[in-house]
Amino acid sequence: MIDKPEIVLSVECLSVLNTLNQKKIIGPLNFNAYRGEIIGVTGGSGSGKSALAYALLGFSFRNCKINSGSVFLNDIDLIDLEEKELEKVRGKEISLIVQNPRSALNPMYTIGYQISRVWNKHVGKINTNEYFRPEDMLKLVGINDPKRRINSFAHELSGGMAQRVLIALALSTKPSIIIADEPTSGLDVTVQAQFLDMIWKTSKDKGVTIILCTQDRGILANYCDTVIEMEKGLITKNEDVKIYFKNLKNSRIDEKIAKKVINSDKIIYKIKNLRKTFPIKESKKTLQAVENFSLSIRKNEIIGLVGESGSGKSTVGKCILKLINPDKGDLIFDEIDLGKISPNELRKLRKRIQIVQQDPHDSFDPRWRIEQSLMESFNNPSSNSKRKLNTIKKITKDFGIDGEVLYKYPKNVSPGVLQRLAIARAILASPDFVVLDEPTSLVAPNDRERILSLLKKIREDYGVSYLFISHDLRSVISICDKVAVMYLGQVVEYGSTKDIFNKPLHPYTCALVDSELGLDPNQRRIDNSKIFNLSGEIPSPVDLPSGCYLASRCPKSVKSCYAKSQKLENYFGNREVRCDQIKRIYSR
Amino acid sequence: MNNKEIKISSLDIFGFLITGTVIFLAIFGDLIVPYDPTMVTNTVSKSPPPLSSWPSLFWDVLVNDIPSPHWFGTDSSGLDVFSRTIAAVRTDLIIAFSANIISASLGVFLGVVLGYFRNILSETLLRLFDLLQSFPVFITAMILVALAGRTWINIILAMSLLYTPIYLRLTRTEVLSLINRGFIYAARVSGKTELYIAIRHILPNALGPALVQFSITIGFAILLTAGLSFVGAGVRPPTPEWGSMIASGAGQLVLGDWWPSVFPGVATSLTVFAFAVCGNFIEKNYDR
Repeated sequence: MIDKPEIVLSVECLSVLNTLNQKKIIGPLNFNAYRGEIIGVTGGSGSGKSALAYALLGFSFRNCKINSGSVFLNDIDLIDLEEKELEKVRGKEISLIVQNPRSALNPMYTIGYQISRVWNKHVGKINTNEYFRPEDMLKLVGINDPKRRINSFAHELSGGMAQRVLIALALSTKPSIIIADEPTSGLDVTVQAQFLDMIWKTSKDKGVTIILCTQDRGILANYCDTVIEMEKGLITKNEDVKIYFKNLKNSRIDEKIAKKVINSDKIIYKIKNLRKTFPIKESKKTLQAVENFSLSIRKNEIIGLVGESGSGKSTVGKCILKLINPDKGDLIFDEIDLGKISPNELRKLRKRIQIVQQDPHDSFDPRWRIEQSLMESFNNPSSNSKRKLNTIKKITKDFGIDGEVLYKYPKNVSPGVLQRLAIARAILASPDFVVLDEPTSLVAPNDRERILSLLKKIREDYGVSYLFISHDLRSVISICDKVAVMYLGQVVEYGSTKDIFNKPLHPYTCALVDSELGLDPNQRRIDNSKIFNLSGEIPSPVDLPSGCYLASRCPKSVKSCYAKSQKLENYFGNREVRCDQIKRIYSR
Repeated sequence: MNNKEIKISSLDIFGFLITGTVIFLAIFGDLIVPYDPTMVTNTVSKSPPPLSSWPSLFWDVLVNDIPSPHWFGTDSSGLDVFSRTIAAVRTDLIIAFSANIISASLGVFLGVVLGYFRNILSETLLRLFDLLQSFPVFITAMILVALAGRTWINIILAMSLLYTPIYLRLTRTEVLSLINRGFIYAARVSGKTELYIAIRHILPNALGPALVQFSITIGFAILLTAGLSFVGAGVRPPTPEWGSMIASGAGQLVLGDWWPSVFPGVATSLTVFAFAVCGNFIEKNYDR
């Protein structure tokens, strides 16, 4: 890929020591970084990715110290440099992009000032002839209306935009290396794709080396040239991305459970015209979370609900369980209208509809042992506690969980195991229907696959239906029968998983499907010329546009899209799409 | 997994020792005192024996069975200061602890209720407690006790009322942050009643700050008890109490009789200090 590999950064025997217990946090590490290369540093949490990123800049965490080794940047050893000398290199030659972009910007100053300050410190003093304009930098990183934006403050920017400002800041001094520590973990998929495309372009155009710490294998496969895998502070693999994924595929056990098509027409849960708004304090405005949402879930069916954060997915989930009351609409569970029964009757029905929440540590009482929490949701109140415990033990064993875990407190259990316990808790109530609210988003990639195969197994063994809420399309593809795509509280497309992902119709679905990062480094998103990209960011759900909500971002939008709100229409009998442009094509 | 190491400084040990002694004296004080704390003796305004003679006097009392001297002297009406200082521990601690237990229970209960049910009624109640909190504690306590009468019960009730808003506020804030947590939803979908959730899930998790506050407020309560008696709004005089002892000895200070007020004064400050150290220790090491 690179014609003449020129080493920019070379790390030799770098190690970082915890001064409290004299244990090595990372190292000794050795690797080289070439010009224009994107290196993906991956590994589980606590594997030392961030410690490495900071050590390259000569920083270390509290109570830690860079113990030995050298970091050669253009033949200068950064570790040996005095703090004053190091300051000249940091920001000039080597820049950092952190995980939480908004906290990295100073809230006191405008972003234009912050960008020019970095430039003035490193370049302006030496080369006074060069003329520098911060708005050019913002334009370069694809921010609309840069003239207005240079005068805005950090809190006025969205997460994606703040992340781009950080890039502009990092690029302003034309560094040879940028270190990015989980730069996209707080961003939505479509914004993440825009951002990574830009980083990739910068790297290839300007010959900037990028060290990208990430846990997302999709990012590794699509954007990185080399992958460094870390475990317990040591490098376990340092390979070309194609070789890395080839080996990964071999080592991974693919549990393929044949999807049995279960024909059942019994509708277990029916949602009709659901609407939910939240009032905003100190103003008369309301936030529209869900609008006109209808869905029928059949027995033994898995329906995926996808969309970005703020699209109202979780609100739908909470309304279904009546954890929050909808403003309007009917919720019919097993032919019982949940809106018309008394709280007492509702409470008796509760166990039949369960939920698995996003954050497993939040969903267990921190002062209860796991076993107590599981006992709570037990279905049969008459059986004695010893028999209950045996059932719990049997189910957790089926789920591949060590029995000892039951006697621990939640804080001492890893998120992957705890999430499986949360699923066990839901199943213990013998439900008919389970709402899975982003069950895999906070667990490590390996645990994610285990949870998904467990969920499939449960469906076959216990015959439950799921509403699978997720923004991770890979999980949705592997588990769901049907998918509803949500954008700003509306369903924009609904159909079978196969149809939606193979032939998306609505422009938003197209963008969402395209922004998904596959795991095959031979079929990269950036090599694909037909990418369907949305521009800009999601409008605020408080001030919604009058026409189609996507119009301002949609490349296919025409004038009428901005004025007229659009209806969900049926196509081919099994598909529903909310787009007038599609209607024009297919209605003939 | 993350066993936080508990660090104990020498100050903490000092605090524990004094607290232990104070609690011991509150329970067994009347077995140790050589004189009845409310009975007048024949010697008036007798100065305490010099410190150097204390060991031999102590030996004489233990072995030769001679009557105990007035270790801290006697006051102007002939009461033994030593016996009264020891006996006052019980008075002050009972008032401080009962007031705190009552206000903590009431405050935590109301905190959970007002955090759980938010409507006009609960908001009004909350504002009323805010109003109560806006008055200076000491002045309000003085007025309340003066109006209701200077009995133990009234002092305890007045102080309980004044400390309740502290616990209420702390607990309510905690409840509000708990109410949208995942495990509350989990309990709800498993069909538990709201009462069960409030008692089994919300209460234990919301209790932490109140417990820490309890250990801190105890010290203040002792100071308030003594302060009220000092200005004459506390327990009635023959009952041994540090504040009233200091007040009654204050007149003698100009004559050079320092002992009737200095000894109870030192006892008060040491006790308050020791409870503050303990409170601080609990606050530092409380596992949230």
